[in-house]
Amino acid sequence: MKALLLDGSHAGDKALLSARTILSDELPAKGWTVEGVTLRDTKIAQCIGCFGCWVKTPGRCFMNDAGNDIARSMVRSDLLLLLTPVTFGGYSSELKKALDRVICIVLPFFARISGEVHHKPRYQRYPALVAIGSLPAVDEESEGIFRSLVSRNALNFFSPLHEVKMVYDWQIPDDILMTLKPVVEMRRSGNVAG
Amino acid sequence: MSRDNRVLLLIGSPKKAGSTSESLGDYLLGSLGNKGFETEKIQVVQALRTPEGISELLWATDTADILLLVFPLYVDSLHSGVIRALELIACHRAELKQRRRQKLVAISNSGFPEAHHSEVALAICRRFAGQAGFDWAGGLALGGGEAIAGIPLDKAGGRARFARQALDMVADALEKGMPVPQEAVELMGRPFIPKWMYIWFGSMGWKRLAKKNGVLHDLQCRPFE
Ligand SMILES: Cc1cc2nc3c(=O)[nH]c(=O)nc-3n(C[C@H](O)[C@H](O)[C@H](O)COP(=O)(O)O)c2cc1C
Repeated sequence: MKALLLDGSHAGDKALLSARTILSDELPAKGWTVEGVTLRDTKIAQCIGCFGCWVKTPGRCFMNDAGNDIARSMVRSDLLLLLTPVTFGGYSSELKKALDRVICIVLPFFARISGEVHHKPRYQRYPALVAIGSLPAVDEESEGIFRSLVSRNALNFFSPLHEVKMVYDWQIPDDILMTLKPVVEMRRSGNVAG
Repeated sequence: MSRDNRVLLLIGSPKKAGSTSESLGDYLLGSLGNKGFETEKIQVVQALRTPEGISELLWATDTADILLLVFPLYVDSLHSGVIRALELIACHRAELKQRRRQKLVAISNSGFPEAHHSEVALAICRRFAGQAGFDWAGGLALGGGEAIAGIPLDKAGGRARFARQALDMVADALEKGMPVPQEAVELMGRPFIPKWMYIWFGSMGWKRLAKKNGVLHDLQCRPFE
């Protein structure tokens, strides 16, 4: 079982650092191989919106940098872990620069899913999606937006299951471990409860 | 002039030219200009490329009375560069000693034909407004934005009829110091062609482009398998 961890945290985000350490320690103990990418240290060009990854070099971006590596790892993984400070309810710009580059993993063609228009899948399987968002303190409005965003992404990236976990700056690593326990114990075919 | 006077249009598409965001933004900015507002336009993603561009962006956001953020939907949210700009603006404003009342209006356009795909992105804009000290004056979403693709709205014919009407209402409301009316939100979100037709035109469009690039038969390939 392979997990791709995209770390969109700012330097010094203690809660996300704890979360990453826990996931990197605990998941391998449960049989996962974890590939971690610290996005703030990774050069990824921003998407320029040309749709070349659909109609010029189908399935990959012409800018051959870590953006393509991440897209490749994503379709070869069972689990995609997103770590991000919750930013106005959404992802940090660091995480988003990677996610904007992965639309090459779906087809340009449209399909109807539950009456709504979405893209058709390019690949046969896609990873489960777990997003871990950090906040200075409980903020229901931001958390609600964050949960909606993750479930919309799960729909658009054909994730077989998705889950959101919140961590807070004031939490000690043991609290964060408790929050992430269901993630650490998940199976690809199972679900992330708790 | 006692009313809001300066309007800043922030284009949130990474395309240098020919974006639907710019078509929508230019049309609204033009109407507001005709009503006597002072107007300014900044391409956000380009502005972030240089320190001068960033300073100009921050200065312009400080001095505007009304900000219009017009952007494409990217992975159910805003383009990474636009999020970066919002992060910078919020951080900068947290350091300001005094802040005036300023309004923010957001306009999203999506590739999918249903306008509601943009709900989360508009919620992000509203949260940004709250956190960065702007008065949220409302958000609108256009579905099927690829049909406009940079054509000026007044030359885009029937496909932009609802968008034009909606933006006219927004301009009138802003002139009166009012928020975006609900009627404008509904008009902007109204499909201009049936969904099946948009899907059909979309498929033909992608195939035509792929054929032009000599990759029609590779369209569905899986390079990362
Ligand atoms: C990287 C990327 C991600 C996109 N994500 C979405 C999406 O999640 N939902 C959607 O409806 N359209 C999506 N689109 C399509 C754009 O929103 C659409 O093409 C829009 O009309 C572009 O507007 P612009 O010309 O102002 O840039 C995406 C496009 C790109 C390039």
